[in-house]
Amino acid sequence: MAQLHVESWAPDYGSPFESDAGLAEPEKVDETVEVHGLWHAIPGIDDGISQIAFVDGVRRIDARLTIDDLTGPVAGICGSYGVGAVLWDRSIPRSEIVEARIGRLAVFGSGKGAPIPVISAELSYQSESVPDADPGALITRFHGAMRRAEGDLSEELAKTGVFVVSDGPINDMAATDKVGFIKSHRAPYLSHERAAVIGSLECGQRTPLFLIGKGGRYERYSWYFRIADRGDGHSWTGVVRGEVSAALDLDRAASIAARTTAIIPAVASEGHVDPRAPQNLVPIAALERELRRRLGDPGYVYRALRSAIMKPHAAGVV
Amino acid sequence: MTVNGDAQNTAVGRVLGTEHTTTSEFRVLLEEDEYLQLDDLVVVRTEVPKRGEVRTYGMITEVEAIFEGASFESDTRRIAGEGTMPGAKVRSARAAVTRVDPEVWVSPDPGEIVDRAAGIERDKALYVDEMGRPLPVGVGRDGSPMFVDLDFFDGRKGGHMSISGISGVATKTSFALFFLRLLSSRPDILGEGAANLRILVFNVKGEDLLWLDKPNRYFDEAAREQWERLGVEPAPFPSVSFWAPPRAQSGDVVLPDTGGRQENVAAFTWTPREFIDEGLLRFLFTDANDSRNQIPFIEERVRSQLRRYAVDVAGEPGAVVLRDPMEGYKPGDQVTPNPGEAVIRDLRSLVDQLEEFVDPEDGEPERRWTGRTQAGTVSAFMRRLHAAAHRLGHLVRSGESRRIDRASAQVSVVAIQSLHELGQRFVVGALLAEAFAEKERTGQRLPLSVVVLDELNKYAPREGTSPLKEMLIDIAQRGRSLGVLLVGAQQTASRVAPEVMENAAIRVAGRLDAAEAERSEYGWMLPSTRARARLLKPGTMVISQPAIPVPLVVDFPFPPWATRKEEVDTAQSDPFEGI
Repeated sequence: MAQLHVESWAPDYGSPFESDAGLAEPEKVDETVEVHGLWHAIPGIDDGISQIAFVDGVRRIDARLTIDDLTGPVAGICGSYGVGAVLWDRSIPRSEIVEARIGRLAVFGSGKGAPIPVISAELSYQSESVPDADPGALITRFHGAMRRAEGDLSEELAKTGVFVVSDGPINDMAATDKVGFIKSHRAPYLSHERAAVIGSLECGQRTPLFLIGKGGRYERYSWYFRIADRGDGHSWTGVVRGEVSAALDLDRAASIAARTTAIIPAVASEGHVDPRAPQNLVPIAALERELRRRLGDPGYVYRALRSAIMKPHAAGVV
Repeated sequence: MTVNGDAQNTAVGRVLGTEHTTTSEFRVLLEEDEYLQLDDLVVVRTEVPKRGEVRTYGMITEVEAIFEGASFESDTRRIAGEGTMPGAKVRSARAAVTRVDPEVWVSPDPGEIVDRAAGIERDKALYVDEMGRPLPVGVGRDGSPMFVDLDFFDGRKGGHMSISGISGVATKTSFALFFLRLLSSRPDILGEGAANLRILVFNVKGEDLLWLDKPNRYFDEAAREQWERLGVEPAPFPSVSFWAPPRAQSGDVVLPDTGGRQENVAAFTWTPREFIDEGLLRFLFTDANDSRNQIPFIEERVRSQLRRYAVDVAGEPGAVVLRDPMEGYKPGDQVTPNPGEAVIRDLRSLVDQLEEFVDPEDGEPERRWTGRTQAGTVSAFMRRLHAAAHRLGHLVRSGESRRIDRASAQVSVVAIQSLHELGQRFVVGALLAEAFAEKERTGQRLPLSVVVLDELNKYAPREGTSPLKEMLIDIAQRGRSLGVLLVGAQQTASRVAPEVMENAAIRVAGRLDAAEAERSEYGWMLPSTRARARLLKPGTMVISQPAIPVPLVVDFPFPPWATRKEEVDTAQSDPFEGI
C-alpha cells in the first residue's frame, strides 16, 4: 500500500516534487549515454577541489504601473533583481560573497513604453516592452533578464577556472565547469524502470548520466543525486537534479557529476534553519538574503518611485 | 599635559547607522585592522547645519563582535567551521559621550569617521584643558596619565575624597597614600596649599602604615617608570612621624604599643588637665546607640562641671584636684592637695572621683553634677565610664605632655590598631576635634590639613548619632572651606552616613562586592563600570570627579615605600637612623 508523507518544505514554497509536465516542453531523453544496461546507484567522488562558486539570483516586483493609453490602460511592472556569487574556499574554509549585481527593469505590455525617471544613481530603471498584453508575459521578460544575468555571471566565473554551481537550470551552453542545480522536479525525464533507482540512492550517490534536449540547442547531461539522508521521508526526499552542458565531453561531465554529488551534501540545509531544506543550499540561502537586502528597502523604493512618477510632466507616453 | 602631545589621531571606525545615535551614547563600527578597548577615548567630527563642526568625545564602555548574516546559533559553525555560509565578522564598540565641543548638544552623524583621541584631543575628551590644576593620579588603559582636578579636592571648588572597596586587596589605603604622595610631591600643581601641608593618617589595621618612610625591596624598574610617567621621583615619604598609644602595663616607662617597629615611634597620652580642658569626656560616649537614652545630658553636665572644678596640683604637671569653684580659684592657680584629697593622675582616678559626686555608695548624688537625671541613667553613665577606664585608661596620665605633635612632620601616622574600638573612637575623636578646632580658630583654608581615616563606617555609621559622627559630618560639610580635608575609606559606602558621602567631591572605588556595586551610592558609575567593579585588580581604581561626567578607570603604580616589615629594603635604609 502506498505510504503517505508530509513534505519537508514549508507549504508556502510548494513541493520539491511537482510533476507538472505542462510547464516543460517534452524533451528528448537518452538514458544510455553513461550506462547501457541496468542502472545502479553510483557513489560521488570528492576530488578535493578547493574553490566552488554558488551563483543565484533574486527578483522583486517594486511597483505595478499603468500607462493611460488612448486605446485603454496598458499594464506595466517595475522590478529589481540581483544576481551574485558566494565563493566557498574549502581550503581555509571560508565562504565569501564575491559578486552582487543589481538590475532594475520596467516592462510594459502591448508594445507600449514609457521612460522611468532616474531617481538616483542606485535607483534607475531600464524600460522595455513586450508585444503581449498578458501580465504573465511581463513577468516572463523580467524573469528572463535575471536568468540572463545569472548565466553571464556563471560563465564569467567559470572562465576564471572556478567550479560553478548555479541555482536552477543552466542556460549558457559553453563547455565550462558549471553545474545547474535543480531543487524541484517538474518534469519526469526517466522511464519508470530507470526511475526506480532514484529511490535506492543513498546520500552522496547519483544515478548514471542521461542526456536531455537531445538534438536541440540546449543539449545537456543530467543526473539525479541525493544530498541528505532520506530518514523517514518518501523515496525522493533530498533528491535533486544536476545538469551540465553537453558541449563537455562525457568523461568530463561524469567527473563533474561525481564531484557535485559528493560535495553538495556538505552544504545542504537543515529543516530547522531553512523552510526549503535540504535542497536550498546554505550558501545560496545566505546569498539570497544578502541580494534581497541589496535590492533596497521595498517600502523606500516604492515611495521613491511614486514620488518620481507622480511629479507632473515627469513621465510622458512614447 | 600628555606624553604624546602631538600624536596624530587615527581613524578606527565609523559611527554606526543601524541604530539612533544620541547625545549620550553612540556606537562605532570598527575598521578591520583597528581595535578599541574599554576606556579608550574617541572623537567624531560632525558638520551641524548653521553651526559648523561639532566634536563629540566619547569613552568606550563596551566592545562587541558578531557574525553578520548568521541568524541561527548553529550558523556560527557554518560560517567559521565548515565555511559553507558566507558571513562577515563585525566588531563594534559603544561609546559614552564625555563632551561636545562647542557645546551644541547634537548627536554625532551616522557614518562619520571615528578617530582615536590622542594628544590634545585626549585632553579635551577628559576635560584636562578645563581643569584648574590637573594632578596625574595614575595611568589609563592606554598608558597615558589620567588626571584629577585638585580644585575639587583642596576646597576651592569642592573637597574631600571617599574611597570604597572590599577589604583584603589593600587597595583603599594604598590608593589614599599614593594620592597623598603625589599631592605632596607636586607643589608645582598644588600651589599655595603645598606650604605646610599636614597629613594625619590613622593606622587602624595591622601595621601597614608604619613603614611609610622605608624603601620597599620589591619596588622594580617597571614601577619606577610608571611613577616617573606621573612626574614624581619614586621615594618613601620623606617626612613622617609615628605615634602609638603607650603599652597598657608599662608602668613609669612609657613605651609605644607597636609590634614590628619601635624605633622612631613616640607614645602619646593626654594629661587629665588636657582631657578636661578639651572636653574629651564626650569621646568616651561614641557608641551610636548611647544617644537614645539620657546619657548625653548627664555627660554634657559632667563635662562642664569638670572644667569649673579642676584645679592644677603644684609639682605634678597635668594632674588636678576637683574643688568647688565657689572657693574662688582662677585658671593657672596651683594648689597643694589636702591630706586625704584625691589627686586625679589618670582616667581611673578621675572616674572614681566622679562616682563620688554622681553615684556615691552611701548618700545622695550631687544635683549640681547630675541635674535631674534618673538614677538608672546615672548608673548607665558610670558603667560606661568604668568600662572606658578599663579599656583606654592608659591614654590619660599626668606628667609631661605627650600630645601628638602634628607639626613635627608632614605626615603623622597614628597607630591605633592595638586599641579597643572604644579607644580607637576616642583617639580619632580627640585628634579630629583638635585639628578642626585649630582651623576654626584661624578661619583660614590654608595651610591644608588632610585626614586619612579607614573604616569610616565605624566612626560615622549610617544609623544613630554620636559626637564623633556629628563631628565628621561637620568636617564633611564645613571642612572644605576651612581646609580640613577628609580622605575616608570604607568597604561599603552604603553603611556610612550619607551626609559624609555626599560631600566628597572625589569618589573612588576599587573592587566592590557584587551586591554592593548595585547600590545607589555607586550611581556615579556607568553600568559597564559597575559590572567591572567586581573584577578590578589591586592597583586599579575607578575615579569620579565633578569635572568629568564619566568615571575614569586608572592603574596606580606599586609603592616605593614598604607596607610590611618584610618588605623593608634593609640594604637601602640606614640602620643608625634615629639613634
